[in-house]
Amino acid sequence: MPRGQKSKLRAREKRRQARAETQGLVVAKATGAAAAAGKSPSSENLPAAGARSTSEAPEGATGAIASGSGTSSAENINSPKAESASSPKGTESSLSEILNKKVVLLVQFLLQKYQKKEPIRKADMMKFVIKQYKSHFNEILKRASDHMELAFGVDLKEVDPTRHCYTLVNKLDLAYDSALNEDEHMPKTGILMIVLGVIFMGGNCAPEEAIWEVLNVMGIYAERKHFIYGDPKKVLTEDLVQLKYLEYRQVANSDPPRYEFLWGPRAHAETSKMKVLEFLAKVHDTIPAAFPSWYEEALRDEEERARARAASRARNAALASARSAALASARSRATASSSSQAK
Amino acid sequence: MQGSTRRMGVMTDVHRRFLQLLMTHGVLEERDVKRLQKHCYKVHDCNATVEKLEDFINNINSVLESLYIEIKKGVTEDDGRPIYALVNLATTSVSKMASDFAENELDLFRKALELIIDSDTGFASSTNILNLVDQLKGKKMRKKEAEHVLQKFVQNKWLIEKEGEFTLHGRAILEMEQYIRETYPDAVKVCNICRGLLIQGQSCETCGIRMHLPCVAKYFQSSTEPHCPHCNDYWPHEVPEVFDPEKERETGMSRPNKRSLRSRQH
Repeated sequence: MPRGQKSKLRAREKRRQARAETQGLVVAKATGAAAAAGKSPSSENLPAAGARSTSEAPEGATGAIASGSGTSSAENINSPKAESASSPKGTESSLSEILNKKVVLLVQFLLQKYQKKEPIRKADMMKFVIKQYKSHFNEILKRASDHMELAFGVDLKEVDPTRHCYTLVNKLDLAYDSALNEDEHMPKTGILMIVLGVIFMGGNCAPEEAIWEVLNVMGIYAERKHFIYGDPKKVLTEDLVQLKYLEYRQVANSDPPRYEFLWGPRAHAETSKMKVLEFLAKVHDTIPAAFPSWYEEALRDEEERARARAASRARNAALASARSAALASARSRATASSSSQAK
Repeated sequence: MQGSTRRMGVMTDVHRRFLQLLMTHGVLEERDVKRLQKHCYKVHDCNATVEKLEDFINNINSVLESLYIEIKKGVTEDDGRPIYALVNLATTSVSKMASDFAENELDLFRKALELIIDSDTGFASSTNILNLVDQLKGKKMRKKEAEHVLQKFVQNKWLIEKEGEFTLHGRAILEMEQYIRETYPDAVKVCNICRGLLIQGQSCETCGIRMHLPCVAKYFQSSTEPHCPHCNDYWPHEVPEVFDPEKERETGMSRPNKRSLRSRQH
């Protein structure tokens, strides 16, 4: 007789708890430290205040998904690779193994921050990754940033020594990659292009009210469901922001809070001021040159992009030839010395 | 040449750019991956010969090995297209999603995942998923919001939607196969041919074994009368065509006839 739904679910929960417990043995210290810091490791919730911030930690949210309890993903590193390798469950891992794990976790943490273009604070790194191994922070950070540089070509730089804020700087020039995205499909193209246009014409930053003024004329309202766009407010303030086409932020010192829109990094990468102007011109049944000041700005933007592309191409060509020259001379030196030894 | 024979490969800016761009996209089809590779070569090193993709990727993976990350290759379950994603090996859960979604959204995904795995067809209806909205952890979510979150999952290539029902995107299978096998060992289905995790596929009506659609296509490619590899009974389903990247480029069609691949064939 096949298992009923309830017994299946109960068995699953038991398994999850069991997994969490055995893994908890190995990192009992970690959860202990977490408890000491005022969080409860046994609670259903993630070991940090606020649901949103925990999603930044590689361990917090995975704990929520992987097991019903507040275990961190540090334990998950035990399975499958490390587990099969050496230590049986329950024994204390050596310090170097733990530090290795911390390095791996920190790299994951940094990658997430990099992708979301968020600043990296030492305090966050301590809280979510390093935890009780504070004295090893510098070593772990150095090793993690070496990995980032080697594997991803991304540099970790300290931008604010007083507040211990870091950022990840791409050593590779991505200006050249916009050519790759030519046939990239921009979602909800109509509404996005219009919004980008309003932002562009507003001096590259537009208050939210201005955006809605324009959209209302087209029958798109913030509080009304739209037959194509569904919930337009969500599309603009959440979807397109998450997909990095738009940036939505509070106007500084505004009380009551007002918001403004800017182009997001992906908009900069996938389209250009000229393309947006062309779109708007078409909508108004005219040509870009009919908007002289914006046309000028769009032209300047095009020039800059072309210059950036040419510069990076030149730089890369120079680097490549320098490297191959160095290799060639090294090789000739080696053969010269080996041939002299052979005699 | 002197020096220790290190297994670890050499990363150049070509590989690094490739890795960064692959990471940005999340998951890419093989045809786009090859384009990406050529682009990276063009940017950095015009004269070098483009390394064979498999070797190129193995090279990168050898450097990433110590970080418990790798570029993994998979195959879409509905039409056998090869896909690639940068996958986290250390955490066996939905960690990649964790940075993009809130707690209640992740729980919604988990509920949908369970329904999909428990289902016979590999699809979970929108209605059934939305009925679980009250049981979500974290901030309370209304059904309307949940519909929207499900669409976000589709946009970010974690789920696929077909006719109001949801199944796992190839990306989710690549990233979470291990987690799924460990968490749902009773409910998980496995392909009889490749032994990989199976969400969508065809099954034998007599003995119940299951096969991925692309595995069916390959296994029965040259047989006029397909028989179940396990019980030898007549195989009652339509055998799909093997995915051919060359053919696709010629016809200019991006998807073969979907009707025959509708996997309601259990």
